[in-house]
Amino acid sequence: MTMLLDPGMDLTLRPMRYPDFYERFRAAIRNTWTVEEVDLASDVPDLAKLSPGERHLVHRLVAFFATGDSIVANNLVLNLYQHVNAPEARLYLSRQLYEEAVHVQFYLTLLDTYLPDHEERAKAFAAVEHIPSIRDKAEFCFRWIDSIGSLRRLDSRADRRAFLLNLICFAACVEGLFFYGAFAYVYWLRSRGLLSGLATGTNWVFRDESMHMEFAFTVVDTVRAEERDLFDSTMADQVRQMLDEAVAAELAFARDLCGDGLPGMNTADMRRYLEYVADARLARLGLPPAYGSANPFPFMELQDVQELTNFFERRVSAYQVAVEGTVALDEAF
Amino acid sequence: MTATPTLAPPAAAALRELLHRHHHDLPDTDPDRILALVESGRTARAGRAELTELAIAAAAGLTAEEPAYAKLAARLLAGRIADETAAQGIDSFSASVATAYAEGLLDPGFAGFVAAHADALDGLVDHAHDGAFEYFGLRTLHDRYLLRHPGSRAVLERPQHFWLRVATGLSDTVEEAGELYRALARLAYLPSSPTLFNAGARHQQLSSCFLVDSPRDELESIYERYTQVAKLSKFAGGIGISWSRVRSRGSLIRGTNGRSNGIVPWLRTLDASVAAVNQGGRRKGAACVYLDTWHADIEEFLELRDNTGDDARRTHNLNLANWVPDEFMRRVEADADWSLFDPKEVPELIDLWGAEFDAAYRAAEAAGRAVRTLPARTLYARMMRTLAQTGNGWMTFKDAANRTCNQVGNGGGVVHHSNLCTEILEVTSDDETAVCTLGSINLAAHLSADGVDFAALGATVRLAVGALDRAIDRNWFPTGQAATAHRRWRPLGLGVMGLADVFAALRLAFDSPEARALSTRIAEEIALAAYDASADLAAARGAHPAYPLTRAAGGVLHPDHWPDARPARPEAWAALRAKIARHGLRNSLLVAIAPTATIASIAGCAECVEPLVSNVFKRETLSGEFLQVNRYLVADLKRLGRWTPQTRDAIKQADGSVQGLDLPAELKALYRTAWELPQKALIDLAAARAPYVDQSQSLNLFQAAPTIGRLSSMYAYAWRAGLKTTYYLRSRPATRIAQTTVRKGTFLTPPVEQGPPVNNSVAPVAGDGDAVACSLENPEVCEACQ
Repeated sequence: MTMLLDPGMDLTLRPMRYPDFYERFRAAIRNTWTVEEVDLASDVPDLAKLSPGERHLVHRLVAFFATGDSIVANNLVLNLYQHVNAPEARLYLSRQLYEEAVHVQFYLTLLDTYLPDHEERAKAFAAVEHIPSIRDKAEFCFRWIDSIGSLRRLDSRADRRAFLLNLICFAACVEGLFFYGAFAYVYWLRSRGLLSGLATGTNWVFRDESMHMEFAFTVVDTVRAEERDLFDSTMADQVRQMLDEAVAAELAFARDLCGDGLPGMNTADMRRYLEYVADARLARLGLPPAYGSANPFPFMELQDVQELTNFFERRVSAYQVAVEGTVALDEAF
Repeated sequence: MTATPTLAPPAAAALRELLHRHHHDLPDTDPDRILALVESGRTARAGRAELTELAIAAAAGLTAEEPAYAKLAARLLAGRIADETAAQGIDSFSASVATAYAEGLLDPGFAGFVAAHADALDGLVDHAHDGAFEYFGLRTLHDRYLLRHPGSRAVLERPQHFWLRVATGLSDTVEEAGELYRALARLAYLPSSPTLFNAGARHQQLSSCFLVDSPRDELESIYERYTQVAKLSKFAGGIGISWSRVRSRGSLIRGTNGRSNGIVPWLRTLDASVAAVNQGGRRKGAACVYLDTWHADIEEFLELRDNTGDDARRTHNLNLANWVPDEFMRRVEADADWSLFDPKEVPELIDLWGAEFDAAYRAAEAAGRAVRTLPARTLYARMMRTLAQTGNGWMTFKDAANRTCNQVGNGGGVVHHSNLCTEILEVTSDDETAVCTLGSINLAAHLSADGVDFAALGATVRLAVGALDRAIDRNWFPTGQAATAHRRWRPLGLGVMGLADVFAALRLAFDSPEARALSTRIAEEIALAAYDASADLAAARGAHPAYPLTRAAGGVLHPDHWPDARPARPEAWAALRAKIARHGLRNSLLVAIAPTATIASIAGCAECVEPLVSNVFKRETLSGEFLQVNRYLVADLKRLGRWTPQTRDAIKQADGSVQGLDLPAELKALYRTAWELPQKALIDLAAARAPYVDQSQSLNLFQAAPTIGRLSSMYAYAWRAGLKTTYYLRSRPATRIAQTTVRKGTFLTPPVEQGPPVNNSVAPVAGDGDAVACSLENPEVCEACQ
C-alpha cells in the first residue's frame, strides 16, 4: 500500500485516499476573504493616541508580521509540497500557499498604512535582518527549513523523521506559537478599543492559520497511523526541545515588545500564555503538558466565542463563498 | 495567580477597599481575584487611573465565568466617570450642561431652558439608577455617547446627566422631562442612537432613517442625490435609496449617441461617497441601495458585494436589497420566464404596484420592450446565492408594502423602497425624502411576577409616542426634502427589544404556540396604545397635514389588511376607531421593529425580537470586544449545580450551544440558539405580529450552512406568509478560529450539508477533548474508532 510520504508525484484523485484533505481544501475556499475588505483607515487615528511604549510594541509587531508569512510560504514550497505525496493534500497546500500570499499582502498594506514615512517603512521590512528579537525567530525558522533542504526524496526512516520534525516545527512553533503570540498582542490592543482594523484582518488570518495548523497535525496523525513507530520517545523529546526553544525565542520578542510592562500586557503574563499555548500543541500531538500554565489573558477567551457584529460598525466576516443547490420551494428550513 | 496581592498604597489600598465594598452586595464577585489580576497586569508606576482601568478590564474578563462581574465592572466604570467629571468641577446636571454649552456643544435654547429650571432638573437626577447598567451598556455609553470636552476629550456628563439631557431635549416641560427621564434611567425605553447623540445638541438631528427616492434618469439628479446622501449621513442617518429609475447598461444616451454603462459606475461613486462621510466621526456612514427586480442591471447589482471578480465593479460599503414584486414570486413558483427592462424605455413600472403593475409589466413584455428574458428561477437562485455569500441582497416585497401602507391609497403616493434596516416603509418622491425617528421599548423591563405588565407597557408606549412626536417638531433636518416629508406625514417608528428575555423569563420556547400568542399580544397592545396616544395628540394639536391622503382617513386601519388576524381586544379597537374618526391621527405610521443593535447593548437586553445567536458570545463594537453570557441560562445552571468550568468549556466548544449537554429537555428547548431554531418559527412569529406593525420588521434569518434549495424555500415561505420585508441572512464561516482557551483537537466544521434544524441534534459533549473533536466536529478526521 502506498503511503503519504512515499516519494513521488502521485496524480490519482480517484479513488481518493485522503478525502479529509479534500474537504479541508473545499472549506478553505468557502472562507475566501480579500485585503480590500479590511478597513484599516480607522486605525490611523488610533496610532496617534498610543503611548510611546505602545507605539514601540505596535511597530515591532508589524515588523514581525512583515516577514512571518513569507517564511511559512517558503517552507511550504521548498519542503512540504515536495514530500506530501497525495494530490488532494497538494490541493490543500496550494490553497494554503494562496492564503499565505493574501496574508503577506495584508501585512504589506498594513505597513504601508501604518508607516507613511518611506524610510521607516523600509526599516520595518528589513527588521528580520537588524532587530535581534525578530532575527532570532527568523533564524530558528531558517534552521528548520534548511534541516531537510537537501532531501529530494524521503527514502529512509530517518528522512521521514526529519520531515516530520520540520512539519511539526512549522505547525506547532511557527504558526502555532510565534503567530499565536503575535495575535495575542493584537487582541490585547483591541480589548482596549485600539486598532480594530488590524484586529479584523487578524481574525481572518487567525482563522486561516488555525486551519493550516490543523491540516499539518492531521498529516502528522496520518503519517503516524501509517508508520506506527516513527514517532517515538526520541522524537517526542526533540519536539519538546524544539517548543522550548520557540518559547524562549518568543519570550525574547515579548521582552523587546513589552519593555518593563504596559497596562495589561507584560513579559510575565506573556510567558504564561506561551507556555499555555505550547502545552496545547503538545496535547494535540498526544504528549503530556510540559509547563502547566493557565491562560492569563481574559481577552483571548473572547476569541473563542462567536461574533455578533453590529453591522453599522464592522463588516460581518462570517460569510461563505461557495453555495450549492438549485431552487426548491418545499425544503424544510 | 499571585497568592497574596501586594499592591502598593495608597491607590491600591483604595481599590481594595472599593472592591470589598462592592463585594458586599455582589457576593459572587471575588475582590482578591480582581486584585491579583490587577497586580499581574500593572506597570511599576501605576496610579489610580491605571489601576481602575485594569480592575475594570479584569472584572469584564471574568463575566463569562460569573455574570455578577458585569455589574462590578459597570460600577467601577461609573466611579471612574464620576471622578473624571468631578475633576472638572461638574457636580450637577445643570453644571454639566453649562460646561458643555460653554464648549459649544449644546443648543442655546436648550441650555437656557436648563439654566432657568436648574434646581428642579437637578433634583430629578438619581445616580442610584447607574445600578441598572451592565458593563457592556455603560462602556458603550461612555465610549461614544457621553459628551466630551472638544480639546481634552474628558467626559462632561455622568450617565444620569446624559439620560436627563436626552429627556429634557425631548420635552417641553420639567414634568415631561422627569417622566421621560425615569423611563430612560430604568432602561424601559430608549430612543435610537441619533436621538441619543444629538438631543440638546446644536444640530438636533434626531432621526435614524432616511429614504431617498431614486435619482431621475439624468446626470443632475444623480449628483443631487450624492449631495443629499452625504448631508444625511453626516448627521448620523442611515440611508435607503433606490436606483431603479436610472437607465441600464447598453441604453442609448441621446446627447452623445453613446451607450450607457448602467448603474454600477454610479453606485461605485455612491460607495466612495458613503465611505468618505462618517457620522461626525462617531459611526460610519451607511446606505442600502434598492433595485426593482425587473431592472435590466439586476444581475450585476447582485454581484456588487462579492469579494471576488473585478474590483472596479464592486461596492464594499453599500448594502443591497431587492425590491421584489409579487409577479416575480408567482413566476418563480410557476417556473416561468421573467423579463428585464430598461427604465428609460419602460419608465412607468417603478411607480406602479399590485394589479396595475402586473398589467403594465405584462403589456411591456407583450410589446417586446424587454431587454432580456430569463427563467425566473435562474434569477431567484442568483438572489439566494448573493444572500448566502454576502448576507446582503435583502428580500423586500413591494406589493405587500404598498398594499398595507397607511400613506398609500388615497393619492398619497407609492412606497418605492425601504430603509437601511428594512423596517421603515414610507412613500417617497423626487421632492420628498421619507424620514423616521425611532425608539424601542425594552420588554424585559416590563415584566412582573405574573408575566408581561401590559398596563406598564401601555404607559411606556404613550410616553414614547409623546417623546417621538415632540422630536419631530424640534428636529433639525439636513435637507429640505426631508423636512417637507417629515412635517407632512409625521411618521414614528416605535419598536421593541428584549423579546428573547421575556420568553426566557417566562420559560417559553421561541417556537411554542404560547410564545407566538404572547408576542402577538404584545404587538397588539403596543399598536393600540400607540394609535390611541396619536389620536389624543391629534385631538390636542390636530391631525398630521397629509392625514386626508391616508387610508386611516378612510376608516381603514393597519390590522384590517389581515382579515385572518384575531385581535385580543376588539372592544378597544372599536373605541379607537371612533376616536380616530373624530380626531384623526397625529402620525401616519407608528410602529416599526428596528434592529436595536447598539441600544439593546446599552439596555443589556436581547436585540429586538431576535433569539440569541449563542448562549455565550462576544459583541464587537467600536469600543472593543465584550463577552456576553445568557444570564438566564447561567441562573438555571447554577440552580442545577452545573455552572462549572467544564460546562463553560463545553458550551464554548459547541459555539454557544447547550444541545450537547446533559440537561433537562425543557432547558435545552428553551436555550436553542437562532441557529438551532426552525426558521419557520421566526417567520411565523413575524407574520403573526405583522397586523400590528404598520411599518415593518428588521427580520434576520439564520442558516448555518445555507443551500440554494433551503434558502429559496425559506424566502418563498416568508413571501407567502405576507411579510413585507426581511433583513440579513446570517450564516457561519466554513472554518473558524482555533479556540485558544478551550482544549480540543480539531476545528473543521462539518463538511456534510446540515439537515433542517428540527432534526439537527448535536452529538453529546463529553469531558475529554479528543473524543469531542471526534464526534462533534468532523467524523472523517476522527481516529478514535479506526
